[in-house]
Amino acid sequence: MARVDVRGEICPRPALIVRQALSDLDTGETLVVRGDYPPAEENLRRMCTTHGIDVTTAETAGESDEFELELRVTEMASLSEA
Amino acid sequence: MGTDAATDDDDETTRLTEYTELHGCSCKVGQSELDSLLADAGLSGESDALLFGIGEDAAARKLTDDLALVSTVDFFTPILDDPYDFGRIAACNAASDAFATGAVENVDCLVVLGLPRELTESAAPILAGMADALDAMDGVIAGGHTIMSPWPFAGGAISATSRPDALLTSQGASAGDRLYLTKPLGTQPAMGATRVTDNQFVETVTDATERPLDQIESEAIAWMTTPNRDAALACREHATAATDITGFGLAGQSRVVAARSNVGIELTYLPVIAGTPALSTLFGYGLTEGESAETSGGLFVSVPPASADAVESAFDNAGVFYRAVGRVTAGRGVTIDDPAIEEVRH
Repeated sequence: MARVDVRGEICPRPALIVRQALSDLDTGETLVVRGDYPPAEENLRRMCTTHGIDVTTAETAGESDEFELELRVTEMASLSEA
Repeated sequence: MGTDAATDDDDETTRLTEYTELHGCSCKVGQSELDSLLADAGLSGESDALLFGIGEDAAARKLTDDLALVSTVDFFTPILDDPYDFGRIAACNAASDAFATGAVENVDCLVVLGLPRELTESAAPILAGMADALDAMDGVIAGGHTIMSPWPFAGGAISATSRPDALLTSQGASAGDRLYLTKPLGTQPAMGATRVTDNQFVETVTDATERPLDQIESEAIAWMTTPNRDAALACREHATAATDITGFGLAGQSRVVAARSNVGIELTYLPVIAGTPALSTLFGYGLTEGESAETSGGLFVSVPPASADAVESAFDNAGVFYRAVGRVTAGRGVTIDDPAIEEVRH
């Protein structure tokens, strides 16, 4: 399972980093993203949903801003077009 | 990394945006957190001394039968690196909250400024930008307060006056009213693109839209430095409710108006700065759903259908940009279902 850490990254870089990591994956493969920038989580969810990537919450760490999302490339994925 | 400004490879220019993790109105605390804070502190917003206060864009106090004093404070982190432009945007954004109530006379600004030690040279151009913006709004800088702060921020406490009976709030929208927006959306993706300067992603961002990024940026700056004063003057005698579009975005601000007016809001048409929808899709900002944060956005006003021609003529005569973006319904909440998108060129 591929992993990418965008902690310390400021928008819009997390979306760009995740996009690049997803473009290396094939249908059915997953990417786990760990981040700590609150607006990035919503932006990542939106960016992925728009492009046919399934998003599930892998982990949220208590009171900190850290989050972990599991992204799965579906047959509908269209990241390479944009 | 955003906070590691000391390693910035651009020695010529101080990058204001490198010192903060949130930029412009996106640093605004969310509506639900604000509601919780007010509840925790026991602040209901009800006060006999005021015409209106907490929950509105500004507070208003009736001084005489003919005169109300409107006051508000607004400050935020840099959305761009040029300190002069940052000052202009900060002043326009702060005054916009007063203009949203229709108060446009006797505009005074008390500057609120915080800068890290490394950026103290930016203070003068930020202030100069604020002064020039105030001048263009027939306002003055009347004083201020400056502190050292790890995150830079600028803005001001604004006071302005109006006839008490001419004031607008977010509470007067009625079913059937038309909704107007006086600036296109898209400042967040436009300015976000300018913060991507490393070779790893510059090409991805540049290729996302056919428009040159510097042109999109300059148009966004032009809109953010356009005061809402003329728009307020044009619409205040026709509008039933008004607010300005900032960090909550058009959808978020619509939710505020819908809740406070006890109505539904249907958004069907979104004017956006040309090129920004593609950038928003790349960054996941939600612009075409109205969710993208705006900085120093336009006024959002409801107008009864019978006054639509009059307000449109008033906007035209004042040279104010406007678009009809939706309508007020008898329902609840906000609906944005596949809205028409107009890409606006300045």
